[in-house]
Amino acid sequence: MLKITGLEKIYRTEDIETMALNRLSMEVKEGEFVAIMGPSGCGKSTLLNIIGLLDDPDAGSFQFNSIEVAHFNERKRADLRKRNIGFVFQSFNLIDELTVYENVELPLLYLGIPATERKQRVEEVLEKVQIMHRKNHFPQQLSGGQQQRCAVARAVVNKPKLILADEPTGNLDSSNGNEVMQLLTELNDGGTTVVMVTHSEHDARYAHRIIRLLDGQVVMENVLS
Amino acid sequence: MIKNYLKIAIRNLKRNKVFSAINVIGLSIGIATCLIIMLFVKDELSYDRFNEKADKIVRVVFKASINGGKIAEATVMPPTAQVLLQDFPEVKEATRIQTSGTPTIEYREKSFREGALGFADANFFEVFSIPMLQGNAKTALSQPNSMVITEEFAHKYFGDENPIGKVLNIKSWKTLYKVTGVIEKMPSNSHFHFDMLGSLVSNPDAKSSSWMSSGYFTYLVLQDGYDYKKLEAKLPQTVEKYMGPQIKQAMGVSISQFQKKGNKLGLFLQPLTDIHLKSDMTGELEANGDIRYVYIFGAIAIFMLIIACINFTNLSTAEASKRAREVGVRKVLGSVKYELIRQFLLESIVLTSIALVLAIALVQIALPTFNELSGKHLSIDIKEHYLLLLSLIPFGLLVGILAGSYPAFFLSSFKPVEVLKGKFSTGRGSISLRSGLVVFQFFISVSLIVGTIVVYQQLSYIQHKKLGYEKDQLLVLKGTWALGKNEDVLRKELLKDPRVANVTTSGYKPAGDTDSNNSMAYAENDDTQMMRTLEYHIDDQYIPTMGMQMVSGRNFSKEFPTDSTGIIINESAAKAFGWGVNAVGHNITRLKNNDGLKIRYHVIGVVKNFHFKSLHESITPLLMVMESSPGLIVKVKTKDVSGLLNNIKKQWAAFNVDQPFSYAFMDEDFNNMYKVEQKTGTILGIFAALTIFVACLGLFGLATFTAEQRTKEIGIRKVLGADIPQIIGLLSKDFLKLILIACVMAFPLSYWTMSKWLQDFAYRIDISWLVFIVAGVSSAIIASLTISYQAIKAALANPVKTLRTE
Repeated sequence: MLKITGLEKIYRTEDIETMALNRLSMEVKEGEFVAIMGPSGCGKSTLLNIIGLLDDPDAGSFQFNSIEVAHFNERKRADLRKRNIGFVFQSFNLIDELTVYENVELPLLYLGIPATERKQRVEEVLEKVQIMHRKNHFPQQLSGGQQQRCAVARAVVNKPKLILADEPTGNLDSSNGNEVMQLLTELNDGGTTVVMVTHSEHDARYAHRIIRLLDGQVVMENVLS
Repeated sequence: MIKNYLKIAIRNLKRNKVFSAINVIGLSIGIATCLIIMLFVKDELSYDRFNEKADKIVRVVFKASINGGKIAEATVMPPTAQVLLQDFPEVKEATRIQTSGTPTIEYREKSFREGALGFADANFFEVFSIPMLQGNAKTALSQPNSMVITEEFAHKYFGDENPIGKVLNIKSWKTLYKVTGVIEKMPSNSHFHFDMLGSLVSNPDAKSSSWMSSGYFTYLVLQDGYDYKKLEAKLPQTVEKYMGPQIKQAMGVSISQFQKKGNKLGLFLQPLTDIHLKSDMTGELEANGDIRYVYIFGAIAIFMLIIACINFTNLSTAEASKRAREVGVRKVLGSVKYELIRQFLLESIVLTSIALVLAIALVQIALPTFNELSGKHLSIDIKEHYLLLLSLIPFGLLVGILAGSYPAFFLSSFKPVEVLKGKFSTGRGSISLRSGLVVFQFFISVSLIVGTIVVYQQLSYIQHKKLGYEKDQLLVLKGTWALGKNEDVLRKELLKDPRVANVTTSGYKPAGDTDSNNSMAYAENDDTQMMRTLEYHIDDQYIPTMGMQMVSGRNFSKEFPTDSTGIIINESAAKAFGWGVNAVGHNITRLKNNDGLKIRYHVIGVVKNFHFKSLHESITPLLMVMESSPGLIVKVKTKDVSGLLNNIKKQWAAFNVDQPFSYAFMDEDFNNMYKVEQKTGTILGIFAALTIFVACLGLFGLATFTAEQRTKEIGIRKVLGADIPQIIGLLSKDFLKLILIACVMAFPLSYWTMSKWLQDFAYRIDISWLVFIVAGVSSAIIASLTISYQAIKAALANPVKTLRTE
């Protein structure tokens, strides 16, 4: 599903150049659950942003479903993104002015899905993550775990082929964290590809495979049983 | 999707109450000011356009320059209309109007002395589109002693009776007028307003062929599409052909000799639609507007709106950090830039719409006051102004887009990767933009403050300038001509009253409407040096009563029988005749009438120059002769003025004349001369205050934001030992710097503009550097007060708390 070869990303400030990704290559197959690990500054977030089509690489190739997307313009990226990719962030990134329901509905609005279908799909996914009873609450009125479940619901409401999770449990206590990991596993069992960046060895064990990065390169891969 | 945008917009407005309030209040004040000024400007520009032939009508005026004295008169000679109609086929129609004061008019037991009476040629209604409700517009003014009156006056005199055929009596003229027509009230945006129009054929002088007298407002209807300039170019020949012989007869010089000496005179044309805004001549029908005030107010309207839009732009970009995450999330979820731009524009349009509704309410509240100040009758009436109200919709959209476009582009260009990681910082670019906008706001505010101060200083200068006479405690009795011989009886009675210091018999006053008498005069026997002078007819008590001073020679006295050919001149005349201080003893010859009669006078005194016209005009040569002139001017020496007035009223009633007792105070008449300036000053002051208020609203918002943004910095500084004044200074310094820059920019511009304005006054103040200091310091103080609330709040905050928020 994802084929990355020789990817490079360099950050420049006035007089310092930082190589965030250094000729990195990797692959993710459809239906896989991959965890990306590594110390701070190893380039895992940069990699996730590029995979998520939020950022473009300076060099190298990135194929998404066999289509070369490394140099797509913003409009094309946005289009591909909204149809295929769901995001889960460490800090949830829910919009404070919108209710749970409205937050989850947002991706469907950008896809131009009619109102009745939207309602059905939003409620379906809210049931699934078990926050249907809080659908008219605003994010600040929810616990951290509920907020992240809402964020997961938002990520999957458009039935993406790929979910990218950036330390999804980083702001949660262990029981809430486990619930979220359980959710991601269920989604993966349903056929969705999941790529997750994490610091937590515990969370990483939910994945099929762990890719370890150091200084912008893959240094080790572990396949878990 | 629109629904989602609206939802976010409204929730955002609710959540950020302070910012929303600042934006909405600022915008609505800006829009309201703009609307009021738009109504004002629209009204000013609409003058006389209600006439169907407005584009074809011109007024004939007279301009001359004689021995350096400039003359510009709105009226011309009696035969002008007829001659131009006769000689030029491009003139399709010519009509004249003559004004006449306000005599008492009677119908049976009803008697009123109010309303404006004029006289017009029979074809008046062919030229001007004033609807006639009753009577025949073509013939109503064709017969002598006919009169057309407005509906309002018809009702006043005749109640519900049919006015046509009724006879009105102007007792003092011993003439009767038959009502032949009833017209609608003349539109407020007409350059003249008559309540009654008599037929001009009633006046024998209207048939006069004299080119040496004047007094007729003359209007021509030109051929379709004919350029009036072409006709104007032909007028010099007409003047030479008709006026030439009469000038020669009166002055003994031919018109070409007259012109060779550098003198000029001629007839000129003014388009009807230019009269209200561009004409300022002697003897205008009514006080006209001024195109410059239209420009100034128009500019203020635009500035006001820009300032309010700037507030929006400033606050929205300042707030950007709060919205950054939303932008990031939306982008991640697949939104493209243009969708975000649309969203933010929609938000600003929502806000503008709220402001617009509020603005309309504000306009409704403020219009009566504005009308009072400006002397207008502006209103927002849905029936009458539905087009204007409809045009507010695109106007609102425009303002919304204007105010929201920069924030929209700014916000929508955030990179999701950065903002979602919290790496977001408002860039240097947006800070310098905000600073630029604050500078611009204060640049305008400071300019308006300077303008207002200068206007007020000039007005106060006028109030307190030594005028050459004492304008206070002078009581002018009106209409005393009606007393006939009893005028002198009243004068003597008045002198007996201990509350009266002095009385003079003269209708000439140096302020307000007065008898005016221009005459041509020359020194000694040199009739080649003809000069146009103003002439006062006074008695021996005039100069002491008015508190005027003699520079040399003496006042008129009953002890010198030769004083009937004595003359007192003012300093300007003494200078103009070339005598300076040694004028006494010289001779002056003046043309008595238009028929060439000459009278020789000997100068017995020179009176110190006094202002007999407004301070817009310089003091021109003035001659004073001892001739009778009806009118009583009383110098009062009491605080019990009302008691004195009651007494005079009783005496007046005893004479049993049909003229009601009326009076005025000289200082009121004097102040009336500067009504336009006073109104302008007040309006300018209000606008300046509003502008500053709106600018300060924005400043308050920005200060709030800065204080919030620097919470951590302030915390750290306090931990490191900074005290409260230092923190306040830190937060205020940046803003004060901006105001300083604004001042530096505003001073030259406002100096230049106000110098231009002052040039209109022959007597004016110098703009002192103090004005700029006051304007600069006061805006700095206002700004400091605005900022200080937030600065003090931030400085007093406990650093333990502020640092923990991180």
